[in-house]
Amino acid sequence: MGTSRSRVFVTGARAQTIHHHRAVCLGAESAEQTALIFSTFSSKSRTSDRSHQTPIGHDHRLRDRSFVVIELKIVRTRIILVATDVFRGHAKKVNLDRILPMKRLALLLTLATFAGRLSSPAAPVTGWLNWRGPEQSGVSREKGLPTKLDAHHPLWEVDFPGQSAPVITGNRLYINGYLGDGPDLQEVTACFDADTGKQIWQHAENDFLSDTIYLRYATSSPTIDPETGNIYAQHTQGLLMAFSPDGKLLWKHSMMEEFGRLTFPNSRTGSPVVDHELVITRGITSAWGAHGAAGDRFYAFDKKTGELVWSSAPGDRPQDNTFSNPLLDIWEGKRVLYTAGGDSTILAINARTGEPLWRFPFAKAGAKGGINAALIRHRNSLIAVHESENLDSSEIGRMAAFRIPASAEVKPTNAFIPHVFGATNFEVWRQPSVGSLASSPVLVGNTVYEVTGTGDLCSVDATTGRLHWKKKLGIEQRQSSPFFADGLLYIGVYVTLKDSEAGAQKDADSVANGDLVVLRPGADGAEEVSRTQVTGRCYGSPIGYNGKVYLQTDKKLYCFGKAGNTKGTVPDPTPEGWPKPGPAAQLQVIPYEIFIHPGETQSFRIRVLDAQGFTVQESLDPKSVHWESYIPPTALVKATLKASFNADGQLVAEAAKTASAGQFKATFKTASGTELTGYIKGRILPGLPLKYDFEAIELANTTTNSVEPATKFNYPPLPWNSARFRFEIREKASDSAANKAMIKTIDNKLFQRGQVFFGFPGMSNYTVEADVLSEGTRRKMSEVGVINQRYIVLLKGNAQQLEINSNQERLKVSVPFKWTPDTWYHLKTRVDTAPDGSATVRAKAWKKGDDEPAAWTLEVPHHHGHTSGSPGLYGFAPQDQRVAIDNLTVTPN
Amino acid sequence: MHIKSLPLLLSVCLIGDATVFGEDWPGWGGNDPGRNFFSAAKGLPTTFNPGKMKSGTEDIDLATTKGVKWVAKLGSQSYGNPVVAGGRVYVGTNNESPRDKRHVGDRSCLYCFDEKTGEFLWQLVVPKLKSGKVNDWENLGLLASPAVVGDRVYVVTSRCEVLCLDAKGMANGNDGPYTDEAKYVVQDTGKPPIEPGKTDADILWRYDMMDELGVFPHNASNCSILVVGDVLYVCTSNGQDWTHVNVPSPNSPSFISLDAKTGKLVGEDNAGIGPRIFHGQWTSPSTGVVNGKRLVFFGGGDGVCYALDAEAKKGDGSPIVPVLPGPEFKREEETDNSYLKKVWWADLNPPEYKFKDGKPIKYPAAEGVSEINSTPVFYKNRVYVATGQDPEHGEGVGHLVCLDATKTGDITKTGVLWSYQGIKRSISTVSIDPSTGLLFVGDFSGFVHCVDAETGKLYWVYDMKAHMWGSTMVADGKVFVGDEDGDFTVLAADKKLKLLSEVNVGAPIYSTPVIANGVMYVGSQTHLFAVGAEGQPTGSDKPRNEIQIKN
Repeated sequence: MGTSRSRVFVTGARAQTIHHHRAVCLGAESAEQTALIFSTFSSKSRTSDRSHQTPIGHDHRLRDRSFVVIELKIVRTRIILVATDVFRGHAKKVNLDRILPMKRLALLLTLATFAGRLSSPAAPVTGWLNWRGPEQSGVSREKGLPTKLDAHHPLWEVDFPGQSAPVITGNRLYINGYLGDGPDLQEVTACFDADTGKQIWQHAENDFLSDTIYLRYATSSPTIDPETGNIYAQHTQGLLMAFSPDGKLLWKHSMMEEFGRLTFPNSRTGSPVVDHELVITRGITSAWGAHGAAGDRFYAFDKKTGELVWSSAPGDRPQDNTFSNPLLDIWEGKRVLYTAGGDSTILAINARTGEPLWRFPFAKAGAKGGINAALIRHRNSLIAVHESENLDSSEIGRMAAFRIPASAEVKPTNAFIPHVFGATNFEVWRQPSVGSLASSPVLVGNTVYEVTGTGDLCSVDATTGRLHWKKKLGIEQRQSSPFFADGLLYIGVYVTLKDSEAGAQKDADSVANGDLVVLRPGADGAEEVSRTQVTGRCYGSPIGYNGKVYLQTDKKLYCFGKAGNTKGTVPDPTPEGWPKPGPAAQLQVIPYEIFIHPGETQSFRIRVLDAQGFTVQESLDPKSVHWESYIPPTALVKATLKASFNADGQLVAEAAKTASAGQFKATFKTASGTELTGYIKGRILPGLPLKYDFEAIELANTTTNSVEPATKFNYPPLPWNSARFRFEIREKASDSAANKAMIKTIDNKLFQRGQVFFGFPGMSNYTVEADVLSEGTRRKMSEVGVINQRYIVLLKGNAQQLEINSNQERLKVSVPFKWTPDTWYHLKTRVDTAPDGSATVRAKAWKKGDDEPAAWTLEVPHHHGHTSGSPGLYGFAPQDQRVAIDNLTVTPN
Repeated sequence: MHIKSLPLLLSVCLIGDATVFGEDWPGWGGNDPGRNFFSAAKGLPTTFNPGKMKSGTEDIDLATTKGVKWVAKLGSQSYGNPVVAGGRVYVGTNNESPRDKRHVGDRSCLYCFDEKTGEFLWQLVVPKLKSGKVNDWENLGLLASPAVVGDRVYVVTSRCEVLCLDAKGMANGNDGPYTDEAKYVVQDTGKPPIEPGKTDADILWRYDMMDELGVFPHNASNCSILVVGDVLYVCTSNGQDWTHVNVPSPNSPSFISLDAKTGKLVGEDNAGIGPRIFHGQWTSPSTGVVNGKRLVFFGGGDGVCYALDAEAKKGDGSPIVPVLPGPEFKREEETDNSYLKKVWWADLNPPEYKFKDGKPIKYPAAEGVSEINSTPVFYKNRVYVATGQDPEHGEGVGHLVCLDATKTGDITKTGVLWSYQGIKRSISTVSIDPSTGLLFVGDFSGFVHCVDAETGKLYWVYDMKAHMWGSTMVADGKVFVGDEDGDFTVLAADKKLKLLSEVNVGAPIYSTPVIANGVMYVGSQTHLFAVGAEGQPTGSDKPRNEIQIKN
């Protein structure tokens, strides 16, 4: 056994006793595997000290007592304690072997208890834990942050490009970014030492199949769970992941393949939000069933297990993608999440259940689309800002305050549709001269600070909307949002404000770099305290914590200030109250959505909630619940899940290798006779080999669209993700005989391109084959292909090419391939992954009926390969030329 | 050179003559097919007061203005530069201040006003493409300036079409051959046809570049058509899709010519730009006669400035050879097609914008290559043009060049008379003052540059401290320019920098001030100001520049 060390932070705030000392742990870092324990040898009261955290270092408020760091080392079989008095610098080694066995055991048990308490609610993790900071408004109560920032003399800097704000607890900083280039670019969640910039761990994932363009990785921020210290991060391609503080991957979801999450060129990606046991994320999705149409949807996962607890579709058809950071609040006895929706509304959903509560429109789609800034609450109002079209004026953009509706005004018609209010019902004030695409406001007392899209810092009265003043900081601002601490605003300016000389200089820096500005806002304006040009543009937002200011640009991650603890650390806000649950009113079945193979068994946890969504009983015996198959009255495709519940309350999928999708309803009768209900939905998809010729599907429907004559069709299989509105099963002439095929439809132009998934994200090393065809004219053909393990393999009509790609900015290899319209071709593709993580993608195509070419036409090695991924279909019909896919097979290599 | 859009013969007679005999501003670049943003007008005001809105409305109270003849309410976004011809003023905008209750929702509009009074006469209403942002971004409105020749108004719509309209609108009946206006205005809206009334546009013919050519416009179609005799020259706006890599129609033309009378395709470029398009193509062409041959000048989506033979010639089966290195391009001229053949070309991106430390700089990095969005200006056998990018890409380095238009072939090395890298990315077209030889040009970082058009010598740079989308307009010894903050600025058109005035018009200015018949038109996003006191010269009632279309 080598040296094994684990490391624990301890503070005296909620003291536990080690022998006669008091200590409590806060966060763990096991990378260095050293146990570090703060232990106070003083018994002075700490009740006046609201600090819950004392990271390793020299908190001045603790100087009146002796604080000892105990480092536990297990070296081979010997256990050594190194005790260091933090303030006096003495260190003493104690060989635990010399301590009496019982005492040693007691000490080790205590240490184990600390480790166990890492997940205990009694030991909150504190710091700048999420994108918008401790008050959800870009405000820190910390004092003494550095004010004269100089990018030439940072405390540290690392090359770590991105658009995030770091999150910090203790001396651990977590942030997203991207590293590498071309096909080897990877999006990274990394942990740095907050004092030194030394990287502690990182987790890298490929971009795949996304529409993120250029290096426009609008990376979100990770979120630290205040209970466990675990880290949640969503990458731009939709991988949602949970990490332990030491970087161990706890669980992962591919939101694209599992939930139909769409990506967009702007790459806007929401930062996950943790609320008690839930981690909540959002995105525009187009999946299956009731979630088949595109919508800005919310998904809450159990933060420990990664099981879906609820999903919510509070909006109308989205106009744009948004990453407006949700604001958690208590509203009329409910835990709610307020945010701006992709349908340009302001909305509220119940954060416990996902029930959409209400929404009202705020803007229309415009040149700078979407409402991307976070909302802030001021008294009983929500303050929001956009830079899009207004609903009732022709000015672009505005800031406005809206009274939060009272629950008596809110009358949702059912659990899935919120109350939709009119546009101006609740507007308290508006300020048309303050508009922003994505920079979020900061609320300080009765003043809102906002950087407009044209780079003006504005001070606005939060009660009246009156504009106090404007100050030009730059000529443009994107999503970088200010933070406020100790009377100062810290602002990352998108592109540096140039002096007039720069206009005549051949000077790339002046257009490629941003500024970090510190201002002291006053009644009539703001005094510039410091301004420094940073390398790279500022999309990311600065934050301040523990005497240091951090900023990520699209080139670097900067830290300014002094190492170690500083005087300035101040308490986090008092934890908000949590309502006591009322009587049992409904069931919450976890997981809410399942995705299993034929023959598999799925267990559920059944939670009893009150009418507001608060937990009455954590777990109900699944055997006590009655289950029945359920088809929502609105379902177009009336299908049921081919599975049944066994005596243990588990769902067992039928063994037959068929795909199915549907819902179940759970009913529980309480002792008093009240019936509580809950729902689950799910998909069953068979594994390899797969074969689809679509011949058995009855064309039971007839099209009614205006772009083509009435045509018989049927919907794509319900469990296929993202298939609806893009593909249908229709007759297609093949050679002389008509047969059925999957046809890329042309009536829904918003889905002129379709990416469909009909397997599991974990599938790997398989071969996909299909017959493919495009309609066409002299100048117009479409693109058609299949998805194999996150690679698209396609024939391009207008370009006359065979291509392999996966986010074309990252990986795209094509060769000329002559093919003609209305002719069937056969496409074959195989992906092999190697033990070193690389992959080889192979493809060939030939005219159907001809002999298969012996050699692969394209063989693309990929260094950081996509090592798994769902099979799927691809069709892109920009000029109304349908494509067809038939005789689809997926077989193991 | 300031001539109207006249038949070839007349144009040739006027080459080199800087006099102006028509005061209309009938198209992008006015009367000048070289599209130099200069007007010979004199006695122009140095400022005006844009006034205040009437309470509870978005209409400007004329009584609160100063030096303003009339103000017209536009939509909420107006990038279309005003055009003045035949007693009418045309401007593109969106439909956020609907002029007709029957047409509501997101539409692109071309408004036609009476030049004297600002009275609204008629509008073209263009529904959006169903494919959304990727081809036709929401609420941008109609982006192009129309070209007016006699009673015909040629315009590129946001649906990537070329339309020929009747300058008199529907007031004189629905002239053909196109008579489906009732259906046109509701296509893709799901609404029943709306019979045109007197305030609706009369479409005479329609050419759909997406349908006919397979073009895939990126986000917006915007070309301001160039008319030479009976031929129209149009940039197709062909570009990339969402991926910003894939060009769905790489073989579709970037530039075409159409028969002005019939709307039939005459020729297409043989430049093979498609697979090398950096992003989209949003340039407008200019023209000039060089060595006895009429050339059209296009700024390519590949950052190359092209001079094409204006006369389309039958394809001869020879390979189409793209200018820039890149993926294999296996295409030949088709013998049943006609082509606007390359005469010369210049890659405007210097090597240091392409490589840094031996590594390629990826588009759209701030320090890297750009395409050409502005209009190449032809002036005294030279072409002046700067590089730039979609404003959404932000600021970056630019390149202003002066090219010798008399050369042929690849003139990247041989034809650059001077170049200036002090400019940042620019989507602005240059203005040259023929009386001083000074060239003025804005850039997207907000700087206005004054250089010697002959030598490229820099005189001064003025910082507008806001993004500039529009172009400078030079007249009467002054430079008129607007910016994103809504500041309308007047500088002295002099070797010495002098700010004459600055006034904020209340909304961003994304267009270029133009001057016609002594009146200056300043368009903000929301309002069009006709600047010039009462009693100033006004427009004529009759079209002045009749086109002579040969039958």
